[in-house]
Amino acid sequence: MSEVAPATPLRERAGRALEDTFLQQALTIATTKFIGLRREAFDEFPEGEALRDQARAIKEATLQRLDHWLETLIDNIERRGGHVHYAASAEDARQIVLDIARRTGSGMAVKSKSMATEEIHLNEALEAAGVTPVETDLGEYIIQLAHERPSHIIAPAIHKTKGQVAELFARELGRETQPDPEVLTRIARAELREKFLQADLGITGANFAVAETGTVVLVTNEGNGRMVTSLPRVHVAVMGVEKVVPSMTDLTVFLAILAKSATGQKLSVYTSLVNGPRRGGELEGPEEFHLVLLDNGRIKQIAGPLRESLYCLRCGACLNVCPVYRQIGGHAYGYTYPGPIGILLTAMLNGPESVKDLAHASSLCGACADACPVRIDIPRMLVELRKEVDERRIAPWPERVVFGALGSLLRRPALYRLSARLGRLFQRPFVRGGAIRRLPLFLGRWTRTRDLPPVAARTFQERWADLAREGRR
Amino acid sequence: MTRAEFLARIRGEMGKTRGLFEASPASRPARPRERLDLLRRELAERWRENLERFAREFERVGGVLHRVGEAREVPNAIARIAGERQMKSVVAWHGDALGLDVAESLGARGLATSAAPGLEVSATERGQRRALAAAADLGVTGVDLAIAETGTLVVVSGAGRPRSASLLPACHVAVFGREALVESLRQAGLALEAWHEGAPPEWRGASINFITGPSRTADIELTLTRGVHGPKEVHAVFVEQGLTVARRV
Amino acid sequence: MSAAPRAAFMVTCLGDLFYPEVGEKIVRLLRRLGVTVEFPAGQTCCGLPLFNSGYHGEAAAVARRTVALFEDAEHVVVPSGSCAWMVKHEYPGLLSGAERTAAERLAGRTHELSQFLVKVLGRRQFRSAVGGRLTYHDSCHLLRGLHESESPRALLRGLDGAEFVELPGGDECCGFGGSFSVRLPEVSSAILDKKLANVEATGAGCVVACDAGCLMQMRGGLSRRGSRVRALHLAEVLADGAGEPGSAAAPRGGAA
Repeated sequence: MSEVAPATPLRERAGRALEDTFLQQALTIATTKFIGLRREAFDEFPEGEALRDQARAIKEATLQRLDHWLETLIDNIERRGGHVHYAASAEDARQIVLDIARRTGSGMAVKSKSMATEEIHLNEALEAAGVTPVETDLGEYIIQLAHERPSHIIAPAIHKTKGQVAELFARELGRETQPDPEVLTRIARAELREKFLQADLGITGANFAVAETGTVVLVTNEGNGRMVTSLPRVHVAVMGVEKVVPSMTDLTVFLAILAKSATGQKLSVYTSLVNGPRRGGELEGPEEFHLVLLDNGRIKQIAGPLRESLYCLRCGACLNVCPVYRQIGGHAYGYTYPGPIGILLTAMLNGPESVKDLAHASSLCGACADACPVRIDIPRMLVELRKEVDERRIAPWPERVVFGALGSLLRRPALYRLSARLGRLFQRPFVRGGAIRRLPLFLGRWTRTRDLPPVAARTFQERWADLAREGRR
Repeated sequence: MTRAEFLARIRGEMGKTRGLFEASPASRPARPRERLDLLRRELAERWRENLERFAREFERVGGVLHRVGEAREVPNAIARIAGERQMKSVVAWHGDALGLDVAESLGARGLATSAAPGLEVSATERGQRRALAAAADLGVTGVDLAIAETGTLVVVSGAGRPRSASLLPACHVAVFGREALVESLRQAGLALEAWHEGAPPEWRGASINFITGPSRTADIELTLTRGVHGPKEVHAVFVEQGLTVARRV
Repeated sequence: MSAAPRAAFMVTCLGDLFYPEVGEKIVRLLRRLGVTVEFPAGQTCCGLPLFNSGYHGEAAAVARRTVALFEDAEHVVVPSGSCAWMVKHEYPGLLSGAERTAAERLAGRTHELSQFLVKVLGRRQFRSAVGGRLTYHDSCHLLRGLHESESPRALLRGLDGAEFVELPGGDECCGFGGSFSVRLPEVSSAILDKKLANVEATGAGCVVACDAGCLMQMRGGLSRRGSRVRALHLAEVLADGAGEPGSAAAPRGGAA
């Protein structure tokens, strides 16, 4: 277990999100906008569908020879004077980064947005070791000032209003200002520019790493990825092992679909290909380059039920289209990775126990699989997780009893027909005007907001004899 | 954990997989440099269409395209951009990397211009030059690829090609000729393959950047804001007759 | 001309227990189109609720007997996209050996109602059983599972006596999701609220769906809010006297 389980149950967390009027508004506006932008981007890009298939195939092919591609990557990085480290767990990864910070005498670390470093909870560890981490993606910077966690993979602060950001800047930076995104952005630019120039250590994730060339690839819109990889003395990239791709040709396939899926841009503003430390003649670039290869539950899934989630590009498209995410937002999920893919990643990092409720936080509508640039079959894996939760008896026993009983009922037509009759008997006190408006126990969860049809006075099977006669006439 | 232990763990899990579907990575060009040369010759025929498409996409992402006939008109174009914005200081790539020397001519137009050295310099000088770039109003760079499909400028870092020129100043001006134009991301992929074929040239740096418009964010209430960390403005100056110095690519 | 098509009707549990009148309409409709309708006795449920909740052993047992029940059917017609999807996509994987082969055979012969009407029978023109404006909700399994969006629309557009309008966000989930609707009822209801607001904004008098699960959810919400809008199964808007009485009933798939 690398992440702490949330203190309150999922239903309660979801309930709080549903009552947060601003959050509701922000989620609707943001996700609707992202959905539209993504759709437009692919509508005017007819080759997109074929590229999605190809991207999926590349991810699968890479996994099938993951050892080879990682070795190639490692050799090429070392050839260019970079160092590669191996982290089995979040704890290992934190330790590696802390050791580098200590050895290089780094007092401040600037970070570009990285889910991998969120996942290993690096900032807390850095702070505890006396290294000040500074998030430089504007959204991440805002939530770092607010001591919160990202609520969306690519738009970490969508749950905050400009008014809240202005208050935050006034309180944390001592800068009184109008709640104007333009002005707020200017303030952040000035604050962070100083940090970029002062920091000793630059910490990033990696969107991809190209094995054949030993290149780490970072995709950003703000330019912070470029700053972090060019200005500090030391650059550390923390990357899940699944991010490796074989060649530059493969890379361009992913670049062609990544930004379109995430924000609807043809390309994000900056795609930075970083090939180890500064080379002779360059004015900028780190003197040291480190890549931390992160396992943290991933390797086990190479042969596990969640294998396909190793294809994930972290674009956030599945969040935007998910009806559940659109209602409850990222925080209610309770872990680093929200949304449908987040449930799978949470299970991967923290084991199936961590998602015994989350695995059910989906109507299995399939919108996620449809939007996924690499066509990850998320609903199928959610069902697999539910199966695991059931088979390993992590699911609560009353639930297992109910479904066990349902199973035997549906195998025995006589019992099934009997239950229809019993249903008619038991529903009698609750039927009003042809509908059931209130039921006891867990069925009340349905009837609190919705009517339920009563079991018909005559089921179809009971009507069939008449219908059959009618047909013979 | 050591490399050997880590990879052994991966191999252990790989050995347990079954029923995988057949899949292969994208097929790569066999001799990418030759292919790229061939492609450039083909593209030379279509540069006008490609420039039009580049212009459309570049403007769509918030870039501003300027066209000049000859290389000697470039300083004027840069000076005009600087003048309209009351900008006073410029950092530029070295003449060999840019394809023309701008320092002198921009200096003559009242712009304090510092061109990057073409060779390795001391750590102290690197620090000074970085401070200069951070204080500069405008950065002038060359362009290694201009991708028409996406309106993207690709810049390769290296000796005489500081990364900061396209990053730290509020305004980035990139100068390019028709030889930089490619049609698609796929063709850019071919260039990336070609650039990585064999040992890199001595001058080549460790960073390649695809720049698609000015720095932007929508992190506060999805309001699009320009120039959050990188430049607020990106200009591209197209030189129809090409650049005077043969650029090293 | 080939012999009259035979179809076995898979009523599904929700169709049997809660919406028997929909089943009746389907049987009459198919007969009017010249289809010989059979109803294998001993039907219960396709097992989707078990499958989706992760109880795959139980689901396999249900699949096994359902495959056997429908073994002799020429076509199997299912009124719900989700149950059709279960049979077509999940049954084979739950079984093995000869049973799997039988399940694969069944999968190939199983059709959701709108698909059967349009793609097998080649019928698109019907009189409308309801007047006024109507709209359509894509059920998730039919749309994204069976990749079917055209057949129901073709039928609704072809309705004589009704006006079809598209539903904004029609491809978004209604929030039912089987056990999801009681595990996270507040979230399920919030998703439903959005859906119903979209439905009401179209000004349609009814929203049509091809899935009993979505209908249960949408009807439940509409009736609770006292809405005048009705949620109807496709079969309830197709008048069972077909548009071309006495015309050829043989399959002519692909005909416009």
